[in-house]
Amino acid sequence: MLGILRSMSVTAKVMLTRKPVTIQYPEVHREIPNRDRAFPILIWDEEKDEPFCTGCHACERACPVECMTVVMKDNPKHAAGESKRRKIIDEFWIDYGRCMRCNICVEVCNFEAIGMNNTWAGHELSRYDRSQLVFDLDQLLSQSKAGKVDPGLRA
Amino acid sequence: MVLERDPALDVVDMPINMGPQHPSTHGVFRMVLVVNGEKIVDLVPHIGYMHRGGEKLMEAMDFRQGIGYCDRTEYLAQFSAELAYCLAVERLMDLQVPERAEYIRVILTEMNRLSSHFMFAGAFGVDAGVFATSFTYAFPQREFLQEVFEEVSGDRLMYAYFRVGGLAWEVPDNFVQRVHEVLVHSAQGLKDIDDLLTKNEIFMARCQNIGSFSAQRAIAYGLSGPMLRASGVPWDLRKDEPYSIYDRFNFEVPVGNYGDVYDRYLVRIEEMRQSISIIEQALEQLPPDGPIVPEKMPRRLRTPPGEVYAKVEAPRGEWGVYLVSKGGDKPYRLKMRSPSFCNLSALREMTIGHYLADAVMILGSMDIVLCDVDR
Amino acid sequence: MTMLLSAPAIDMPGALASVLGLVAITLVMTVGVAYATWYERKIIARMQLRLGPTRVGPFGLLQPIADMLKLLVKEDLRPATADPIAFELAVFAIFIPSFLAFVAVPFTADWLISPLPLSLLYLLAISGLSFIGFLMAGWGSDNKYALLGGMRAAAQLISYEIPLILAMVGVVMVTASADVYQIILFQDRIPLIVWQPLGFIIFLTASIAEVERPPFDIPTGESEVAGGVFIEYSGIRWSMFQLSSYVNMYVFALLGAFVFLGGWEWPFGRDIGWGYQLLLTVSKMALFIFFYLWIRASFPRMRVDQLMSYAWKVLIPFALLQIFLNGLFIVYDAPGVVLAASSWAAAGGLMYLAFHVVRRGEPRKPLQMISVRATAVAARSAS
Repeated sequence: MLGILRSMSVTAKVMLTRKPVTIQYPEVHREIPNRDRAFPILIWDEEKDEPFCTGCHACERACPVECMTVVMKDNPKHAAGESKRRKIIDEFWIDYGRCMRCNICVEVCNFEAIGMNNTWAGHELSRYDRSQLVFDLDQLLSQSKAGKVDPGLRA
Repeated sequence: MVLERDPALDVVDMPINMGPQHPSTHGVFRMVLVVNGEKIVDLVPHIGYMHRGGEKLMEAMDFRQGIGYCDRTEYLAQFSAELAYCLAVERLMDLQVPERAEYIRVILTEMNRLSSHFMFAGAFGVDAGVFATSFTYAFPQREFLQEVFEEVSGDRLMYAYFRVGGLAWEVPDNFVQRVHEVLVHSAQGLKDIDDLLTKNEIFMARCQNIGSFSAQRAIAYGLSGPMLRASGVPWDLRKDEPYSIYDRFNFEVPVGNYGDVYDRYLVRIEEMRQSISIIEQALEQLPPDGPIVPEKMPRRLRTPPGEVYAKVEAPRGEWGVYLVSKGGDKPYRLKMRSPSFCNLSALREMTIGHYLADAVMILGSMDIVLCDVDR
Repeated sequence: MTMLLSAPAIDMPGALASVLGLVAITLVMTVGVAYATWYERKIIARMQLRLGPTRVGPFGLLQPIADMLKLLVKEDLRPATADPIAFELAVFAIFIPSFLAFVAVPFTADWLISPLPLSLLYLLAISGLSFIGFLMAGWGSDNKYALLGGMRAAAQLISYEIPLILAMVGVVMVTASADVYQIILFQDRIPLIVWQPLGFIIFLTASIAEVERPPFDIPTGESEVAGGVFIEYSGIRWSMFQLSSYVNMYVFALLGAFVFLGGWEWPFGRDIGWGYQLLLTVSKMALFIFFYLWIRASFPRMRVDQLMSYAWKVLIPFALLQIFLNGLFIVYDAPGVVLAASSWAAAGGLMYLAFHVVRRGEPRKPLQMISVRATAVAARSAS
């Protein structure tokens, strides 16, 4: 009997004294830490006005789930003498449907050209079709280009 | 006059298919129960719905890539799984893990034990029929723990934070303070659950003398973890074969007397208290700074040929990684000894003779993770 | 409304008035039940550190309406192998008796559809009919979970009917009437809970079992039989099941409020206006419902054998004890204080014994704690 009364007192106490822990999600977004890892995005080099990525395939080789496709090209800005990057990324696809967000691409990148999106935009990616989850270069760069994201982990 | 016996009136045993879509099978587990009224006569478990060939996949991955798969295999005690894998590779490569990394590993693994046992306590209460109250008391506290994990590793669930030789990156500056804060929440959640369930007479009536398993049978079935300790075998890898730096802490190992569902519950609740104590000791001893990876860390991990078995005390029991290497950067063969699979094997013997409702309780008390059973 | 509901006051034929009154009650109760779900969800949510419904309307007040619309437009499925007659009729076999109970419920001194001289008996009898519906649903669904649930429901409802009725027999002995109206009038100064606490506790327990709410919700036990008898029902039929289960809860809450808490009579007497009387009735009923919800949020479910042994080994003997005490009181014309004291003592005994009888266990040894001492020292503390 005492145990039963104790159970009832716990629920009553919670009802009277404690506040609900709910976060009303679509309106209120929980603050996510700086190192949050959503999905990898490419980083935009503001100074040179081009991506950091040189298309060296390091991330593509290190990816455990092979979700990346990288195509490299000669950098036209290098020919014009505006940039030190001899090669630059031409096409880049990441299949977010396959990506397992392990951060390995970020770790192996020698140019700090790829980072994990640490904003809510990186989490709210639901689509009606899987093919829409394959992000191309423009989509991967858009966030960083707009200055909306500064990945915390770029080891 | 002799009455003809109508075969339609015979009492027959009824097979019932429970799962894979059933609210209390904790994932896609299917058991075919044969019941006589409410009593269980026979039980046939069916597993394999979640089989993804993780071990085989990891053979095609190098030692860094494989860590992400450890998380996905044991998704409630990710750090324990990562730790076992890293220990195996480290042992093969004969790497010395730096002091600070060891402490952070222990802190995170024990916090992971807390979060895993919170999951157990919540789900077990629901199995017993509490209308989600235990769940809602346990889960906010688990969420606080996961917030710390997220701050440390960047992800709420799939941490991929341990690395062979140490850690992927340094913990945030306010790590110690955050852990202290979260432990307060955990203690509160533990108290809530304890008050709600432990002494509740209905809960006791539902749990006691259900699914009793003797020490001999438990050993014969290869049970481990809380299941084994509830049966009265004082076997805890942290105590008997200390790995990492577990020989530096004072703690107590709870051991049950009856081996029933209630003892398993009590053992887990007590383990949570001990985990809090271990974390506090570890925070005290944690070196304030220092390297988190060995100084002479090779850029590309290559193991010498050989084989190794590393085991850790995961929340569910002994999590072992058996690794064969023929040299190179990938395992030649990898086998995970998952506690859920071995514990689940005892389900049939435990359940027969009990009521239908008890089958749910017994399965709940095993605290299985189906990903870890099927791998 | 007052005119319509108090049968003697109007000129219509009694039968017509009753039917009209019943229709009115059904409509009112449908909305009332919808809001009972809102009340339940809000209260339990707060007990569970949650918010409950917040999305539809202010404080989620329109949530029940949205739920109702959703259930009405949902496809009504019937399994191909189900027994069509049993499957379809089961809903009405549960739905109709639960609403018929309101015929004899005196909401206020004047609001009464039909004054029955044996209304207590009528209420108990009509609420006991629903198990037929459960059996029909369980059998007709052609589903093993539903069958188990139906059998559990039948066993449970029949078993708990007995302590419920025995507790009421005790009340009838004290008040010398089987009419709820008269029982309410009897409690003009002191509610019956003071004289019959043992009967009250038995009634409370058995009524939870009768309306199949936790911890006695084994016929629908979500974690075991996954909805039990309701497993194959969907849409409007399922919502009618839920509706009648909530209406049953209302009926038993009202019955408890009338028989043990003095209904609209206590504590202000019957001369206050009908508005106040209705308010008293509803608030006492809400108290009961709150108690049901509180129990639901706090307790695990009992097992089927424990449920049975609790009814037959605990509740029924104690209900008989209450009757015996009442009998002594009547025969020897003892003062009321003696009756109250003995009943309180027996109630204490019930509470103490109840779970020992069910558990049948020797006291357990606590866990052994094997302490582990550090064998190595940290480099930092050594230095």
